[in-house]
Amino acid sequence: MSDSIPPTSAMPPLLPTANAGATTRPEIMPLGEDPADREAIAGPLAAVEALLRQPRRVVYWARQGSAGRLTGILFAIALVCSLLYGIVVGTFSLNAQLWAAPLKVAGGFFLSALICLPSLYIFACLSGARVRVSEVCGLIAGLLALMTILLVGFAPVAWIFSQSTQSLPAMGALHLMFWAIATYFGVRFLQHGFSHFGGRPAGLRVWSLIFVLVMIQMTTALRPLVGTADSFLPGEKKFFLSHWVEELQK
Amino acid sequence: MGELPELLRGEARRTAEVWAGESQGWVAYVIWIVLGGALFGAAVGWWRAPLQACYTALKLPLILLLTALGNGLLNAMLAPLVGVPLTLRQSLMAVLMSFGVAAMILGALSPLLAFLVWNTPSLAEAAARDSRNHGIILVTQAGMIALAGFVANLRLWQALRSFSGRGKASLRLLGCWLAGNLLLGSQLAWVCRPFVGSPQLAVQFLRAEAFQGSFYESIFGIMRRLFFP
Repeated sequence: MSDSIPPTSAMPPLLPTANAGATTRPEIMPLGEDPADREAIAGPLAAVEALLRQPRRVVYWARQGSAGRLTGILFAIALVCSLLYGIVVGTFSLNAQLWAAPLKVAGGFFLSALICLPSLYIFACLSGARVRVSEVCGLIAGLLALMTILLVGFAPVAWIFSQSTQSLPAMGALHLMFWAIATYFGVRFLQHGFSHFGGRPAGLRVWSLIFVLVMIQMTTALRPLVGTADSFLPGEKKFFLSHWVEELQK
Repeated sequence: MGELPELLRGEARRTAEVWAGESQGWVAYVIWIVLGGALFGAAVGWWRAPLQACYTALKLPLILLLTALGNGLLNAMLAPLVGVPLTLRQSLMAVLMSFGVAAMILGALSPLLAFLVWNTPSLAEAAARDSRNHGIILVTQAGMIALAGFVANLRLWQALRSFSGRGKASLRLLGCWLAGNLLLGSQLAWVCRPFVGSPQLAVQFLRAEAFQGSFYESIFGIMRRLFFP
């Protein structure tokens, strides 16, 4: 009787080695190699699930010829979720803010994305990514959708606080914190997506900073989001830092 | 537009093919200059007034095109002298390409500049009350132009190197072209001022004294006043 064990189908699977693990890690595996990547994204619910659980699937479908439908679904998700979160933002001041805040939150997200879209394409190309404008639109739609889905996840917490506190700066800071967390995950999705297009991360980091600054400035340009005012949009133009300092000094 | 992403990625091989073969390749470069330059010019001039935005949108592409055309012959003569065998058409296409890349980068950044202008008090208000806003806008514009210029020249050098296969000669040629284009371009920009405009002066396409003096005389005058008041 030999000491060696013959390979049979009843054998347990081999323990993965460090090297084997590196070659099968899903995040560095080429898109579409995993059959799960190629699973179709049928509707909005499937898109939400894919964004949260399988972002590779979203990136894979964003690269296909029929990506327009997915991009539309992602933008629709972003619109609905940002309107929902905006309603929660408006519950702090109630009255006119119940309709103004959703419009401003949704408008702010979409306007920021629109302003930053051309520079994203340029920075993506400069960083070496082989990407088309339609694919960039798909990824930015994914970024917005993921950010707003996460904000909707935070909405119950934000609502509880908005009903408990009277402090405008505290509420503003809380919303900013939620926005920062959502932005972190959104930008991470975008960077993950661009890694499959062959881009170096440095260019995208610069763009991420620009995007963050534009979004922060948008909160000042479209103020008030949380508090109240006589007009829908502010009469005076300010940079966000001056606005924050003035609000804290009040 | 097909060549632009490749150019931005630094893949100069196709550009070299375009220079060598396609006689109509320059049309795309001119379109980039007009489109990108107009968008950025409009964002620059918008701070002063909508009419100034229109004027600057016209003037910025005009300066780029006139610089490329004005130096076309000189650039073509310099190329073989420093060891890069380019024809007149090829050297003109090379300069147009680099201006086109810079213009398209500026065009892509123009929504950001427009957003900044939208969030800034008007030029008259800013000048009277808070010079920081004036500084922020000017520094942002300068930063954007510097980025676009740096990338465009880097890509031009890569394309020249790929086309000629001579790295050092390409670098020398780039230096010569930069010097010539700076000389002419700065004077054209001086003649075509204002770009942003001044709140104390009326909005105008060209100043009344546009053809009086030069950029370099002005710099010399400033230096003289600075050191020998």
